[in-house]
Amino acid sequence: MAEMQKSWRDGALRLSTLPLLLLMGLFFVIPLIMTALLSFQGTQYYRLVWTWDTNVWTDVFSQIHYWKIMWRTLTMALVCTLLCTVLAIPIAYAMLHRLSRWSDQITLLMVFAFLTDAVLKTFGWVLFLDRSGVLNGTLEAIGFPPAAVNVLFSPNATMIGMVYNLLPYTIFTTALSMARIDRDLVLAARDAGATRLRAFHEVTLPLAKPGIWAGAVLVFVLSLGVFLEPKVMGGGTSPLAAELIRQSFETRVNWPLGAALTLVLIVIGAAVLAMAGVLAFWQARRGSND
Amino acid sequence: MTDQMEKRLADIVLYGSVIAVLIFFYIPIATLILFSFTQSRFLSWPISEFSTRWYGELLADRDFWSSLGNSALLAVLATLFATLLGIGGAFAWSRYKFRFQWSFRILTFAPLLFPQLLLGVVMLLWFSVLAGWLNLSPGLWSAVIGHVIYITPFCIVIISVQMQGYDDTLDYAAEDAGATRWQILREITLPLILPGIFSAAIFAFLLSWGNFYITYSLSGSTRTLPTFVFSGIAVGSSPIYPALATLTFLPALVLIFAVGRLRKRAARRRLSKVAEG
Repeated sequence: MAEMQKSWRDGALRLSTLPLLLLMGLFFVIPLIMTALLSFQGTQYYRLVWTWDTNVWTDVFSQIHYWKIMWRTLTMALVCTLLCTVLAIPIAYAMLHRLSRWSDQITLLMVFAFLTDAVLKTFGWVLFLDRSGVLNGTLEAIGFPPAAVNVLFSPNATMIGMVYNLLPYTIFTTALSMARIDRDLVLAARDAGATRLRAFHEVTLPLAKPGIWAGAVLVFVLSLGVFLEPKVMGGGTSPLAAELIRQSFETRVNWPLGAALTLVLIVIGAAVLAMAGVLAFWQARRGSND
Repeated sequence: MTDQMEKRLADIVLYGSVIAVLIFFYIPIATLILFSFTQSRFLSWPISEFSTRWYGELLADRDFWSSLGNSALLAVLATLFATLLGIGGAFAWSRYKFRFQWSFRILTFAPLLFPQLLLGVVMLLWFSVLAGWLNLSPGLWSAVIGHVIYITPFCIVIISVQMQGYDDTLDYAAEDAGATRWQILREITLPLILPGIFSAAIFAFLLSWGNFYITYSLSGSTRTLPTFVFSGIAVGSSPIYPALATLTFLPALVLIFAVGRLRKRAARRRLSKVAEG
């Protein structure tokens, strides 16, 4: 597709970009700057005071409690990202090459499950996993002791909920990028004597990398900010960063603290993404040097 | 390992993974549908007596109707704005070439790289300041802006993908034939990217309809269905929510099949174009 060269004086370009730029500037860029400024203020009697000091930041950096929660959030997010990425690969591959006749129907089923209100689905999990829920009731009926599966209200339940709500993202991005792979390349590798596994490992997987990475990034970012699953399924016993931030805004009405913690979480997320980017770049260069 | 065995093993893993994931995806949905027909006030298994009692209770609940109305209004407004901005953004992303295009792309994509709750919190801070100046309080209007910021990048991507297959010679032919730019846009470009616009609009609607985190932070005391459900289950499970879930599945199902049909039609049109060309 040829692209049309446009100058910023062009009416069509202005019409298509300026409203969007205005909106993003006013309600995305300015709020981010505001948040940074707010973290240098203080509170007194639940009211914001414009003090312009670094008290909140010294508080954030001196309290180990906050960093424990940040660390837990980061490890949960990384485990969730790993699970979602790895699980998506066979599923996406099977949808394209084993069940291609049904792939439209399967996709629709997945999209439907995905777009159903996450709060309701999370509540559904609670009803399923509860001590007197569907799973335990059914197990008891076939001879297991009562409440055999006691997973609800633990970090494991939180993880089930996170993987449940985020897995569709990696399945869709992985499947999209696998669908673009020329099937002849795989067949050529097979003709040249590669086993199925080897052809998959050396042809399909490297070519599907962009989609796998995109899904991983998306899931990582989203999993940093969860508070629905830890609250509803985890029972609030081991809160994650989003819950901490929510509390500092709502319960403690300490806006500067909330702003500072928000920035810490954003920086942690950005740092991990940057590291992943460097790693991917380095790997790609090494691969091309071979 | 022989080739035959390898194929067997691969088949088991591949078919198994799809079946397992479909079961996994539908566990909570099926659970909710089952419990919506219970007679008891307590949502425990096995269900001893079935009834449609909780559907009646739900329909008599005034908070349910007001949050349903808010959800619909919010989703319609967010869809309208996000789709319009998304059309413009998609042109700028993939049909034009201009200075600072990369900065534009990064800026308009960036909201997707933020955890939703943080996006909401950061905007809430700004809205509270604005509200103080303008003597407003956060409510539906701020939730609409938050949804538009979050959903527009999705619309840009979906419409851009549709534009990938666009044939520019059509525009040039129309220009040669004396059409104005507005006529070209209205008569040629828009009809051709219409399937993409429809998919984007439907996707935007569903994203807004089901959104929890941004609404939760930005809507003030206004409640939409997700925040209504959250506030209910946070204080203890109430038997009306499974019924609510089952009722809301129906429109989503209709919309999703509509998208499927539209996409298939677009694919057929592309195929027939290739056949003619």
